[in-house]
Amino acid sequence: MTSPTNATSHDGRVMIRLEELTKKFPGQKQNAVDSLTLDIPEGDIVVLVGPSGCGKTTTMKMMNRIIEPSSGRIILDGEDVTSSDPDQLRRRIGYVIQQIGLFPHQSIGENVGTVPKLLGWDSKRISTRVDELLEMVNMEPSQFRNRYPKQLSGGQKQRVGVARALGADPDVMLMDEPFGAIDPITRDRLQNEFLRLQSEVRKTIVFVTHDIDEAIKMGDRIAILQDGSHIAQYDTPEQILTAPANDFVADFIGKGASLKRLNLSRVADIGLKQLPTVQLGTDREGVMAALRQTELSAVLVLDGEGRPLRWVGAEDLQRGGGRPLDELGLAPEAAVEARATLSDALNELITARYSITIVVDSRGVYQGVVDIDQINDAIRTMRSTAVAKARESLTDDSMAEQGRLP
Amino acid sequence: MNFFEFLVARSEDMLELGLGHAALVGAAVLIATVIGVLLGIATYRKEKPREAILAVCGAFLTVPSFALFVLLIGPLGLGWKPVLVALTMYGLLPIVRNTITGLREVDPAIVESALGMGMSRRQRLLRIELPLAWPVIITGVRVTTLVLLGIAAIGSIVLGPGYGEFIFTGLARVGTPVAVNLVLAGTLGVIVLAILFDLAFYLLRKITTSQGIR
Ligand SMILES: Nc1ncnc2c1ncn2[C@@H]1O[C@H](COP(=O)(O)OP(=O)(O)OP(=O)(O)O)[C@@H](O)[C@H]1O
Ligand SMILES: [Mg+2]
Repeated sequence: MTSPTNATSHDGRVMIRLEELTKKFPGQKQNAVDSLTLDIPEGDIVVLVGPSGCGKTTTMKMMNRIIEPSSGRIILDGEDVTSSDPDQLRRRIGYVIQQIGLFPHQSIGENVGTVPKLLGWDSKRISTRVDELLEMVNMEPSQFRNRYPKQLSGGQKQRVGVARALGADPDVMLMDEPFGAIDPITRDRLQNEFLRLQSEVRKTIVFVTHDIDEAIKMGDRIAILQDGSHIAQYDTPEQILTAPANDFVADFIGKGASLKRLNLSRVADIGLKQLPTVQLGTDREGVMAALRQTELSAVLVLDGEGRPLRWVGAEDLQRGGGRPLDELGLAPEAAVEARATLSDALNELITARYSITIVVDSRGVYQGVVDIDQINDAIRTMRSTAVAKARESLTDDSMAEQGRLP
Repeated sequence: MNFFEFLVARSEDMLELGLGHAALVGAAVLIATVIGVLLGIATYRKEKPREAILAVCGAFLTVPSFALFVLLIGPLGLGWKPVLVALTMYGLLPIVRNTITGLREVDPAIVESALGMGMSRRQRLLRIELPLAWPVIITGVRVTTLVLLGIAAIGSIVLGPGYGEFIFTGLARVGTPVAVNLVLAGTLGVIVLAILFDLAFYLLRKITTSQGIR
C-alpha cells in the first residue's frame, strides 16, 4: 500500500528500483530476500526496518552487489546495474556500516579521501575535498586530518565514516545501522547532525535499522519488512503510525504509536496559545489586572528583552510586600524552541508548573505557550488526515502494486 | 692462550666468517620471505589449500638438517648452494604461517568497507590487508631469521660459509686446548649476529608499520 509522499519535495523520480530481487543463500531452504520490488525516490531517506533476520542487510548489500542477487534486477538512476562492473558501481554509492570499518593504518584524511583517490583525482583536489567533507561533519580539519582512527571517540569515528562515504559526492548512500553501536545521547546528536547534513546534500539514502523510533525520526519513507524482506507497509512515517496496514505493522510500531506520532510535528506547526504576561517593573495593580485575565494562578514576568523571568501569583505579591517582581514567585522551568517536536513539548509539560510549556525563540524571547488541549487537537487532526489518506489510496487501483510509487 | 686472546688473534677470521654467515642467512630469509608471503596470499582464503601448505612447510622442518644438507650435495654440489636451498626451505613455515594468520586477523568490517568503496581485489590486498597484516608477517620473518642463524652453522658440513667452520674444526680437535676456544668463538659469533639481526628487525618494524596500528 502506498500513498503520495508528502514529507519531501522530490519530483517523484525513482533513483533505485528493485525488481523481484531475490537472494537464496546456499544451503538455506528459504529465500533471505524473496522477490522484493521496491522504488526508492530520489533525494529521500528510505528506511528499511524490521525484526532481526528479516533480510534488511541482505537487501541493502545487493544494492551495491556486495551480495550478488540470485535473481531479479537492480536499476540505478534508470540504468540496469545488475551485471555491470561492481567496483565502478560501488564508487558511485556511499557505504556506511555499523562497525564503521575505518582503515586503522591510514590517517583520517587518507580515509576520507579513499574514493577520490580510487577515481584518480590529483592530490590537491583530494585534500581540498577532504577538508570540505570534514567540515561538513563538524570536524575541524586542521585538528583531525592527521590523526589516526584509534585517536577518535566512537561518535567521531562515525562522523568520519559518513564523511568517507560522501567522498566523491555519490548520488546514493547505503547505511546499515550507522548509529547502532553508539550511546543514546551521542546517537541522538549524530542523527540530528545527519538530518541537517541531508537537508543540504539531498542524497538518496537507504537506511537500515531495527529500531522503529530511529526509522520514524530519520525516514521520509519507511519500508516495514517481514521475513524474506516481504513488505508489510511502505509509506511515510505519519501514515505508518496513524494507519498501520496490518497487525504486523501495528505490533511492530508497538503501543507507543500515539506518542511516537508527536515526534513528527513541531511546535511551530501548531498555533501557540497566548497568555497575559507582565514586564519586569510593572506595578502591583498592573500584575493584579493580568492575574484576573489569565486562566492560571500566576502570570509570567518577562525581562527587558522579553525573556521569561518568574511566575508570580497573587499570594506571592501579598507575601512579598514591596519587593521587585524578579524576587517573587518561582523561576520558570526550561522552555522549548519553536522547532522542538510536540514530544519535547509534552515532556516539558508533564514536569512543568501550571501544566504548560513555555515556547521561546532562539534568543530565549517568549513566543507563547503550549498546553495539553493543543497537543490533543494535534493528535486528532493527524489521525483524521491519515485515515482519509489511507482510504483514498485503497480506492486507487494504480497503487495496488506493493512497493511502487504512484 | 685464553679465550679473549684467541678472539683478538683470530679477529680477521671472525669478521670474515661473520659476513659470510650473515650474507647466507640474509639471502635465505629474503627468498623465504618472497616465496612465503606469496604462498600465504595465495592460500589464506580457503581452508584446504591453507592447511595443505602449512603441512608441507611443517614437514620440511622435520627433515634433520644434517641429512638435508647432504642430500642436496647431489644436485647442487658442495659450498653455499645446498645450504641456501635448505635454509630457504626451513625458513618458510614461520613466514607462511604468520602471513596467513595476519591476513586472516584483519577485521572483516574493514575489508567490507574497502570492498564497498569500490577497491578491486588487488587494491584491497595491497592497500589494506597487507599493511594491516604486516606487523604479524615481519614477526614471522624475525623468527625465521633466528632459526636460520643457528641452522646455518651446520651448513659447514657441506663447506658452506659461516661460523660453522669454527665449530666443526673445534669438534674435530676435541681434547686439545684450542677446541673449546673454537667452539666458543663460533657460538659467540652466531649469538652476536642474532642480536644484530634482532635489532635491525626491531627498527625495520618500527619504520615500516603505520603509526595508526603501532
Ligand atoms: N552469508 C550468509 N549465508 C547464509 N545465510 C545468511 C547469510 N547472510 C545472511 N543470512 C541469512 O539471511 C537472513 C537475513 O539476514 P540479514 O543479515 O539480511 O538480516 P537483517 O534483517 O539484517 O537482520 P539484523 O537486524 O539482525 O541485522 C537471515 O536468516 C540470515 O541468517
Ligand atoms: Mg543487519
